[in-house]
Amino acid sequence: MAPKKTYSKPTIVRHTVGVMNKFGRPPATVPMSRLSGFSVEELAGEYGSPLYVLAVNELRERYRDMTRAFQTRYPKAQIAYSYKTNYLKAVCSILHQEGAWAEVVSGFEYDIARNLDMPGNKIVFNGPYKTREELIRAFNDGAMVNIDNYDEMQLIEDISDELGKILEVGIRVNMDLNNPPWHKFGFNIEAGHAYEAVKRALSNNKLKVVGLHLHAGTYVDDVTVYSRAAQGLVDFYAYIKEQLGVKLKYWDIGGGYASRNTLNWAWMPAEQTCPTFDQYAEAICPILMNGPFQAQDAPRLFLEPGRALVDEPFSMITSVVAQKRLPGGTRGVVLDAGMNVLSSVQWYNYNFQTAQDSGQMLEDTILFGGLCMNIDVLRQNASVPPVRRGDLLVIPHVGAYNISQSWQFIYLRPNIIAIEDGKIHVIKKSDTRDYVQEFENVPDEFKK
Amino acid sequence: MKNIFKSELTLSQNGFLFDHGSGLTYTLNPTGQFIFKNIEEGKQAPGILRLLINEFDVSEETARKDIDDFFRQLSEAGLID
Repeated sequence: MAPKKTYSKPTIVRHTVGVMNKFGRPPATVPMSRLSGFSVEELAGEYGSPLYVLAVNELRERYRDMTRAFQTRYPKAQIAYSYKTNYLKAVCSILHQEGAWAEVVSGFEYDIARNLDMPGNKIVFNGPYKTREELIRAFNDGAMVNIDNYDEMQLIEDISDELGKILEVGIRVNMDLNNPPWHKFGFNIEAGHAYEAVKRALSNNKLKVVGLHLHAGTYVDDVTVYSRAAQGLVDFYAYIKEQLGVKLKYWDIGGGYASRNTLNWAWMPAEQTCPTFDQYAEAICPILMNGPFQAQDAPRLFLEPGRALVDEPFSMITSVVAQKRLPGGTRGVVLDAGMNVLSSVQWYNYNFQTAQDSGQMLEDTILFGGLCMNIDVLRQNASVPPVRRGDLLVIPHVGAYNISQSWQFIYLRPNIIAIEDGKIHVIKKSDTRDYVQEFENVPDEFKK
Repeated sequence: MKNIFKSELTLSQNGFLFDHGSGLTYTLNPTGQFIFKNIEEGKQAPGILRLLINEFDVSEETARKDIDDFFRQLSEAGLID
């Protein structure tokens, strides 16, 4: 008897035009069957699905590339990694190995950094809400504290009295850079608030202003925004130097650098729009180097990247659990990963690649997450070849925010592995029911 | 039995389908072509299922689900009722 022919799911796809833009995209029909040299199928078999996978060498490369881009143009540039983007201990530790300092925005994050043996004088402490105890610890450790508001300034003056010394502080400022403006944080330059804040800080002889902090926004892929921010810092520094005699030890241009993930409302793919580190550095550094100082007195420049470092080195492996035909004819595919472990689907049109050869017949598909909630849609419209239950998909570039913002909800959160030099490390085990309920209690009165 | 397509359709040897009624064109993969040709010959779903299993390396369960889905796709495309 003749061998049977190879089977693929029967499909009929209507021809349409105009779905591609002139720059194209990597075809979804090219399978992404390996990650860091390992078979996706074997990784899922061994560590489960869904699964986060970190390519450690890519993380190191991105750190080194960014450092090179900035230090060649501004030698005293220093990366302080934005912990909130992904504060897995292993991730922070790898970046500290490479030389990154820590940028934290809460006492919890501060504690993570100290627990990783980061000395206080390599921690930048930002954010609108820092408690008295956290601030005392930070000042005692010699951390760089950037003041967000007058209440905080007054609190730090009290701490100055308590510690019996003049405290060095940074002032967080904002300016008109985005629409809508980012005026939640710090003191506004154009309205004169930032100048008043510096003057106020110096008035009681309790604080010494040695830093300025300005953050341009989030996912800012227009480098001219950073040029304007840099010019704003230069002008403001020149003014407070002249008027108030301020001499900065550091200035901090924050984070917000983009990664190669396409935003939901963007029509150009991020591969085309995401600036390189060199482009960001070229937009920022020459302007800052023209600041009011001799080259040898240049303040240290802090950069606070998060997304731009950790987004791309992470991938997620997920499985098809079901597919259905929706009214209107669109295909729906249900995956075992949901918004609980992929919260950035609110902002991103993630790229979904099949891990196996599924043929060339792309079809518009809604990708649903596995949560029993109607809002759990991972992508409204993806071109996906025929897949069936059990097939694996790979979602590249998932390292920013998805892990630190993951919710324990309906399902247990998955394993996270890191691969380097052919070695696989589990850097966070999947949740267990015991772990999730560890701090719960059912009083005797409530027991049946 | 007469085939169930609503308008005149022509399928090329490599899976290109032209709908003479609407002017729309489609591409069918090899299994899609196989099912389409059997519908053209007037066969019905249970018969097509048996032929598909004999011809291709596929379980009955998978083939049954896929044929159902293929008929739904033909219906949504307006090619059958």
